[in-house]
Amino acid sequence: MTNAIEIKGVTKTFGSKLAVNNLDLIIPQGSLYGFIGPNGAGKTTTIRMIMSIIFPDSGNLSVLGKASAIESKDRIGYLPEERGLYRKMKVGPFLEYIAKLKGQDSAGLQQKVKFWLDKVGLADVYRKKCEELSKGMQQKVQFISAVIHEPDLIILDEPFSGLDPINRRLLRSLIDEQHKLGRTLIFSTHAMFEAEQLCTHLFMIHQGNKVLDLPLADVWKKYDPKILHVEPLGSVDEAAAKLAGIEGVVNVVTTTTGIDLRLHPHANAAAAVSAVAARIPARMIEIRRPSVEDIFVELVGGDAAALKAELDGLSSEESTDSLPRRSPAGVES
Amino acid sequence: MNKIVSIAWREFAATVFTKGFIMGIVMTPVMLAIVAGAITLMKKQKGPQIVGSVAIIDRSNLLESRIISNFSDDAVKKELDADSERAKTIVKEATKGTNIDPNALPIGSMPTPPIEEAPLLSLEFLPADTKDDDAKKPLETAEVRRREAGRADVSRIALVVIEPSTVMGDEKGDYPNFKTFYADRLDFQVKDRIERRVARAVVDTRLANDKRIASTGLNSEQLRKIMGQPSADAMTVTVGGDKTDKGQLKMLVPMGFMMLLMMSVLTSSQYLLTSTVEEKSNRVMEVLLSAVSPMQLMTGKILGYMAVGLLVLFLYGSLGIAGLIAFALFDIIEPMQLVYLVIFFAIAYFLIASLMAAIGAAVNEMKEAQAMMAPVMVIVMIPWLTWFLIQRAPNSPLATTLSFIPGANPFVMMIRLCGSEPVPTWQIPVSIAVGIASVIAAGWAAGKVFRVGALMYGKPPNFKTLWRWIKMA
Repeated sequence: MTNAIEIKGVTKTFGSKLAVNNLDLIIPQGSLYGFIGPNGAGKTTTIRMIMSIIFPDSGNLSVLGKASAIESKDRIGYLPEERGLYRKMKVGPFLEYIAKLKGQDSAGLQQKVKFWLDKVGLADVYRKKCEELSKGMQQKVQFISAVIHEPDLIILDEPFSGLDPINRRLLRSLIDEQHKLGRTLIFSTHAMFEAEQLCTHLFMIHQGNKVLDLPLADVWKKYDPKILHVEPLGSVDEAAAKLAGIEGVVNVVTTTTGIDLRLHPHANAAAAVSAVAARIPARMIEIRRPSVEDIFVELVGGDAAALKAELDGLSSEESTDSLPRRSPAGVES
Repeated sequence: MNKIVSIAWREFAATVFTKGFIMGIVMTPVMLAIVAGAITLMKKQKGPQIVGSVAIIDRSNLLESRIISNFSDDAVKKELDADSERAKTIVKEATKGTNIDPNALPIGSMPTPPIEEAPLLSLEFLPADTKDDDAKKPLETAEVRRREAGRADVSRIALVVIEPSTVMGDEKGDYPNFKTFYADRLDFQVKDRIERRVARAVVDTRLANDKRIASTGLNSEQLRKIMGQPSADAMTVTVGGDKTDKGQLKMLVPMGFMMLLMMSVLTSSQYLLTSTVEEKSNRVMEVLLSAVSPMQLMTGKILGYMAVGLLVLFLYGSLGIAGLIAFALFDIIEPMQLVYLVIFFAIAYFLIASLMAAIGAAVNEMKEAQAMMAPVMVIVMIPWLTWFLIQRAPNSPLATTLSFIPGANPFVMMIRLCGSEPVPTWQIPVSIAVGIASVIAAGWAAGKVFRVGALMYGKPPNFKTLWRWIKMA
């Protein structure tokens, strides 16, 4: 299997700010890569460098076997972080125009555009002006503009932001479909649960530094469960006292639903489960899989608490809020 | 290449096939016609006549009867006739050699205005020993007013003081001027009429009282004819035979060509600027740049709006040519001038459009663009402000210098090439070469600025930053 993207030792600064620091990243063909990190981590900068929209200060990049994305623009689909449409242009002609710029033949283009609009539930907007669409509709139109030319590599910068739960699900299925067609996909998000549900590989970046780059299966293997969640049948406090002495348990926290036992990194989780069962009658004993978020917080360490709070805020906002996210500047800084 | 054509076509279509553009293009001549019509109408509708009295201190004691006669209804009628005759002569001069009927034009066909249009002036002769200052006093509080029904009172609005020497000459044989004093806010045409009538009375009195002239037996009317300045019946001699001179209409050709050039170039490059700023603020830019290179995008846009500019040039140009043909005036322009028009359009357009594309890519919104456009507009406005000087003296140092200043040269050359004096042959290719060099330099620099600026948001760059972008690899 060849690699869709190879990044070696790439560094990019904006003024005095280090946006991406000495980054190595290899994205194999056919993979579905999630780029994860909070706002300003360097996700968009990395993506823009892959797209040859901006150029690294140092290091090497190859995209689809070429030295830069410019040489294979027609084989790449791109959904930028900042959504842009010609406000006065009609949706159909806009998509046809973008497809033509992507090297598509004009023959049969109209059918193709109509097919895609139908597919995302926008069958009736072909003749509407872009400015008449809602934000969510505009985003779906932009997604079409990224995939209509059947590219080998699809890069989606924050594709889920601003979508309601139904459209998030639709977009997930569309991304999955492209993945099953054998295309390489990259998407960035700061809402980590989307990545968890969708991607095959995980790439985490924080303050310009890579903190994780693994297939999702390996992520779960590497970051073994460390928390045992217990719901006792009897009194929670009594049970908590009994469980404190189990080997490998470093911390006991009672929560509204039960007890969380934090295990020592090298503790045997399976042994701990049987130890719990032996000591108290329980309604439920569960080895909790850490969320991607937990892993991220663990990885970035130091300022973890503050970051966790920030991430919590972001993800809850993301899941309930369908308003567009506002970013003050196009260049991450 | 296909992508550039796609971009150019989209930009052209997005500009031209809009209500705004079509209305603008059609409405401009319509608006001009309306304005012209309104001015003609306004000229026809004169207000009621000025009413007032003119005080006269005649210290020569020789003028009274002549002044009275010059202010009489008969004399005023003659004056009005002469005025309208003069206006008709000017129109006749201007339309000489064309098939325009001077009588078909508003001024040419205007009847002599009725006597009511002349100011209603009464005369009061003051004793010769009246002090100027005393006679002047009422002017301070004078009411300059129009005729009103039921008002018989009149204010003194003017005072004329004539010394004996003005009529008889002084000891050196000179004739000093007479003095006039006017009330505030008196129309200049009224002053002009008062002065002309008094002056005529003075001259006639001088002639009548001069013994040398009396001995010739000539009266003042005959003397005036002898003194009248003849004008030439001009013919232009060419191989094809003598032609009546085209008169002053030809003077309008250089300005017409420059206006045409300036309008098409500025309209289209303004559209280019707006669309670039819009793409950037709409964030379409990034989508486009994921499909095409900045250079392709800029080239496509410049070509698209060039088509818009050529359309404007063609529409107004053919309107103008149709007008010239209709009035049998087509031969006042030479076919070669049309070729130069296209050449200088290309030079002016590419230069200004490159700069506009760069400005559009460098800024975030139109307001910021205005500030950066100022230096470009200053250079373009030089020919606009100096066209009259250039046309009057097409080979003056000013005109020659401006012909080699990038930005101004296409417009200045266009004026000179349509002007009355032939431009030295070497200057044409050199000016074109300067133009092409400026286009290449501007295109190169604009490409750099466009590439960097297109995706740069935030603080708009100053000229120092722009220069750094240009120097970037």
